[in-house]
Amino acid sequence: MKKIKVTINGQVCTGTPGQTLLQIAEANGIQIPNLCHNSELKHYGGCSLCVVEAENSPKLLRACATIATDGMVINTESERVVRTRKTSIELLMSDHDGDCRGPCVLKCPASVNAQGYIQAIARGDDKEAVRILKERLPIPASIGRVCPHPCEGGCRRQMVEESISISYLKYFAADNVIKAGGYLPAKAASTGKRVGIIGGGPGGLTAAYYLSLKGHRITIVDAMPQMGGMLRYGIPEYRLPKAVLDEEIAEIASLGVEMKNNYRIGVDASFEEFKSKYDAVVLAIGAWSSMPVGCPGEELEGVMGGIDFLQRVALGQKPDIGDKVAVVGGGNTAMDACRTAVRLGAKEVYVVYRRTEKEMPAEQIEIDEAREEGVVFKFLTNPAEIVGENGKVKEIKLQVMELGEPDESGRRRPVPVEGKFEVLPVSCVIAAIGQKANVAGFKGVELNRKGIIAADETSYRTSMEGVFAVGDATNNGASIAIEAIGEARRCSKVVDLYLNGVEVPYRKTYLSVKQVTPEYFKGYIKLPRAKMPTRDPEERKHDFQEINLGFSEAQARAEASRCLDCGCHDFEECKLIRCANLYELQPQRIERLRGDGKIHPSYKEKRLVAIERDQGKCILCGQCVRICDEVVGKGIIDLVGRGFETAIKPEFLKSDAIKGCVDCLKCAQACPTGTLRIRENELED
Amino acid sequence: MTEFKSGVDLSLMEGVLRQYQEDSTSLIMILQQAQAIYGYLPQEVIYHVAERTGNSPAKVMGVATFYSYFRLKPMGTYQIMLCEGTACHVNGAERIRAAITQELGIHNGETTEDGMFTLNEVACLGCCSLAPVMMINGDTYGNLTPEKTINILRELRKREAGDGIRILVGQGSCGVSAGASRVAKVLAGHQAATDSFTVEKTGCIGMCYLEPIVDIYEGDKLLHRLVRVTETDALGIVEAVRSKDFSKLEAMFISDEDARFLKKQKRVALSHCGIIDPTSIDDYINHDGYQALDKALRMTPEEVIEEIKVSGLAGRGGAGFPTWFKWNAARQAEGENKHLICNADEGDPGAFMDRAVIESDPHTLIEGMLIGAYAIGAKDMYVYIRAEYPLAVDHLGQAIEQARARGLLGENILGTGFSCDLHIKIGAGAFVCGEETALIESMEGKRGMPRLKPPFPAQSGYLNEPSNINNVETFANVAWIIRNGGAAFAAMGTENSKGTKVFALTGKVQRGGLVEVPMGNSLKDVIFDIAGGIKNGRKYKAVQMGGPSGGCIPAELVETPIDYKALSATGAIMGSGGMVVMDDTTCMVNIARFFLDFTARESCGKCVPCRIGTTRMKEILDRICEGKGQEGDIEMLEELCVSIKDGALCGLGQTAPNPVLTTIRYFRDEYEAHIRDKKCPACECSALLTIKIDPVNCKGCTLCARKCPVECISGERKEPHVINQDACIKCKQCVSSCKFDAIIVE
Repeated sequence: MKKIKVTINGQVCTGTPGQTLLQIAEANGIQIPNLCHNSELKHYGGCSLCVVEAENSPKLLRACATIATDGMVINTESERVVRTRKTSIELLMSDHDGDCRGPCVLKCPASVNAQGYIQAIARGDDKEAVRILKERLPIPASIGRVCPHPCEGGCRRQMVEESISISYLKYFAADNVIKAGGYLPAKAASTGKRVGIIGGGPGGLTAAYYLSLKGHRITIVDAMPQMGGMLRYGIPEYRLPKAVLDEEIAEIASLGVEMKNNYRIGVDASFEEFKSKYDAVVLAIGAWSSMPVGCPGEELEGVMGGIDFLQRVALGQKPDIGDKVAVVGGGNTAMDACRTAVRLGAKEVYVVYRRTEKEMPAEQIEIDEAREEGVVFKFLTNPAEIVGENGKVKEIKLQVMELGEPDESGRRRPVPVEGKFEVLPVSCVIAAIGQKANVAGFKGVELNRKGIIAADETSYRTSMEGVFAVGDATNNGASIAIEAIGEARRCSKVVDLYLNGVEVPYRKTYLSVKQVTPEYFKGYIKLPRAKMPTRDPEERKHDFQEINLGFSEAQARAEASRCLDCGCHDFEECKLIRCANLYELQPQRIERLRGDGKIHPSYKEKRLVAIERDQGKCILCGQCVRICDEVVGKGIIDLVGRGFETAIKPEFLKSDAIKGCVDCLKCAQACPTGTLRIRENELED
Repeated sequence: MTEFKSGVDLSLMEGVLRQYQEDSTSLIMILQQAQAIYGYLPQEVIYHVAERTGNSPAKVMGVATFYSYFRLKPMGTYQIMLCEGTACHVNGAERIRAAITQELGIHNGETTEDGMFTLNEVACLGCCSLAPVMMINGDTYGNLTPEKTINILRELRKREAGDGIRILVGQGSCGVSAGASRVAKVLAGHQAATDSFTVEKTGCIGMCYLEPIVDIYEGDKLLHRLVRVTETDALGIVEAVRSKDFSKLEAMFISDEDARFLKKQKRVALSHCGIIDPTSIDDYINHDGYQALDKALRMTPEEVIEEIKVSGLAGRGGAGFPTWFKWNAARQAEGENKHLICNADEGDPGAFMDRAVIESDPHTLIEGMLIGAYAIGAKDMYVYIRAEYPLAVDHLGQAIEQARARGLLGENILGTGFSCDLHIKIGAGAFVCGEETALIESMEGKRGMPRLKPPFPAQSGYLNEPSNINNVETFANVAWIIRNGGAAFAAMGTENSKGTKVFALTGKVQRGGLVEVPMGNSLKDVIFDIAGGIKNGRKYKAVQMGGPSGGCIPAELVETPIDYKALSATGAIMGSGGMVVMDDTTCMVNIARFFLDFTARESCGKCVPCRIGTTRMKEILDRICEGKGQEGDIEMLEELCVSIKDGALCGLGQTAPNPVLTTIRYFRDEYEAHIRDKKCPACECSALLTIKIDPVNCKGCTLCARKCPVECISGERKEPHVINQDACIKCKQCVSSCKFDAIIVE
């Protein structure tokens, strides 16, 4: 048969007469985005994404429908084409009422697919849960125990009653899988590239894990005697048993990651020397210096930093704290410090905090448990002076505070009540008011205004070629472990590309978010959140054994079943979101386009026997209508109405299930978005 | 069979289903008949029709919900169709809507509780020169004021109670609306047995503002043209005719000024309009009718196409594509059955050329179509016409019957062996069906959603067979061209635009109506020489050409010639011929919003740029007019315009941004004033207005306070009045009532 030649983006492609531009492009490996095209169906031309520019044609052509002619010269990515496509996608997204990902996933700094693993746990498939977890989080058993779980803060179940206990469920599944022998995904073939990672905390371990899976050869060096960083030396045993951490680190080591401890940059090797041995270097050095308390007397014996204190305890030392301890600060480190002090035998432990309980950054459960263990909270007080005797701490003079106007963080600013003081006799003051990275020894790496490492926020590149940085030592400073883990995973993607000679920054994925109101959740039955069984305070406060006893099997499955399954079931396969992410969409622009304007609100109905429809996600590509009509020959569903208001509806406005539907599921399979969902369990009924 | 409990008598459908042989392509016609029977489309009927025509109920629902003509709920005895056309919009349709709502307590789509009235806002009724207009059960009411509207509604209520009388006979829609049928009736009433004159009926001459018009002819010679004739004038006219002394009628004679309206024109497509009786084939034949057909049938089809090529005739529907090229493509196309289709779905709000031609001269259309059918080798012909034109449908139907009876339609026409018949397909209210591929879908009984081109209709059109589609005005030129030769037609016009063009001239001009001028005349010739300039001595601001697909041409470009290329260069288009003239009281942002509102509602919903894009643009324009515009809105509109033009599937979407683009191009400062200063320079956008009473000029006559519908004006008699700004709805009724210019709008 005669062949025709079409030049697409400068590439000469051959095709046969009668083929469309889209067919020829695809056959020649050139992708043209489209949403309404389906090779089983007649072409439609609705989505307007497959437009291309042809030489000598004033109008853009739809590649899905244009029959190629010999000698055509086509550009599929011209400025005009991209602009037109981008507008179409923006318009589609402005009328899209659906969640790509659940709010739990969006809230997670590491974008761990909480919805995915919670659903797997609900089904009793812990292995699948861990597989999903490890796509983003290599140490779920550890993190599940200690994470302040921003995911739960986003959980929509709160609109019904309380959030799902996401974090604890995570370690329930991870523990089970570890008991059953663990889980590791397959590793890519060796690339021969070497990556050196400085710092064996959550960030460094995560970078090592994902880069190792990509086939690179990894070495982690760390100044401390064992790996784990702050997870080991900053978090007390009673919250995260070292044995759990050891298991997960061993898994990472089993990927072939070389781990060197007691290794100090500037001592064992200069940064220059270290760097020269690797194709890329990731700095994940953490923030290990406690901020000083900042009042007279901080040099006295018996005054120590929160991080230093916890670290010494973790190393097996017994710091001399005496009977009466004041811990300054309101964060989780302060809670760890005061509760550790209780366990070391202190008779009176105070927490000195300048605001009230409401403003404390520590988690409520930590505060409650500390109180159960006898810790006394001195709210609205601030150290004015630490008074010593013979060079040792004797008492702490506290300035009484009150709350004034809100500050930048939105919390009311504490202001001193003039002349009002209180004195606490104490033997030790632990300052848990913040921590900072020590960046000495990394010559040539640019620092920011705060004096810590400046790293690009999307590519994690530093000022030095081939050197990347993540975690507490960068940009905004210390944060929670899952934040460092998220950065490290995204950084590992950039490093992998870098090692393959591609310099692409990590790009934030554009995602659709549904607008919901409590109204939406009216019909749900209230089910209380599962309560984690814990050891009795009187017993637990005397030792360092883990406080939490873990969920029972029944408890975990029931808790996971409370999940509302917010995110889209079709996220991985969704053509719409894939197209949306071909171009850099700006969420604010889409918000502005939508304004207070019309949308097709999310509305779920189930009239096609085993298929659930969500009108909010429909892009009106008509594939379901056309497949039911052209392929199946039933014509059960059709477009109703006209213009913007057009919707897809089965038959007349009848409320019962449609008789003619033959359960062929073809419509749901054709749907390019998550509009049509096959309810598997109902098929089996 | 699906069973229903309710009492809908499905046996009433038998005749209709038999008539259309349960044919799926007649689905729309079947549903129209069903609606005529039941007053709406009951669910039972939808299922019944689905079953009998072999469609799924979902399909029939899809069709029924696509066209605005169809109702799924019962309707009132009187169906009020309130025109939403451009001319009505600029002439205060909003106030009429408010008056109806005030009187009946119903909004669009609602029915009064007593089941007497249903209000439906419809796309243009095509009576723009009488704007604002409404149609009630097929009767047109024009030049409405809120008071007049309320009186009409009360009159109808009285009639329903049994004490009102009203007589109507068919005339041109504009004339009937102005009272021409009553005049005709009274004239006929005065006619004595001894009188030798006849009272005849004619169509529309296009001077709608002068209706009712009575012409007195002697043979073919026009003696006198009387304008604005009333029933009381009728006896005088009869007496003047009897005595042959017309001097007493002088007060009714058309003025020289108005006569210029016609003199300056060159009538080709409209040559018979207002001269012959549209319901008489003999009258048409006496005016050279069907001579061109006779001549064409003696030529070869190729020679006919060649003659059209020489004439330079281009499509008058808007795009201006060479007619001969389309005919030739259809002639060359492979296929046994070819179709010739006339697009009479004149949906542009503000255009009524096609209605006038079909109402006033249906045989010209039939003759033009027959010549086209012969040229391309078509076996059958269709006219796809809007349901909003009942009189045109009626006249065309009569003309078809007459032509069949004379052997001018059907088998072996004029004994030449050429056979071709003509059928009417009635649309059901969807502007997009004016797009040729959507029109074909609609003719096939489906939702009128455009198809992708290629294939072009010439290769695969109606029933996937070769089809040629032309506009009414295009066909109306064909017989003239064949009779007078292509060269005579080409002698008129410019280098790339030949012949004449008909415009429906409306808006703020002194003399509105139908105007046919040779191409090459300037906008100024039409607006100032023919139409007499702007009403009420106001300032000419812009002309909107081409309706929702066209653009606004500002006053400074008034010398632009009527020429496809020159008009496109301004950002507007020739379009089908809507020409809406605007003065300095018209807000250009609001006019853009008006058109976007129209296209957004008429978008078929198939392609993304048009379905969502026009709605988003309209929402942004709404924001701006309500004083909620933000910096960057103009730029966002511009970006949307460009991408929608490039991305939309059919002409509707591709041209929808034009009104926005041209108003931004020429009146950007007005947009900026709305956004930055929260002011409407034309004082039209009510959210941005303040209405105040000037205490110096106010005489305390209390008239405004009595007119105010929300009673927000207060003050003692003979003392200056005050407006309570919180309660004011900015209806401006006080402004028009004040005799002392004491009410200030800012």
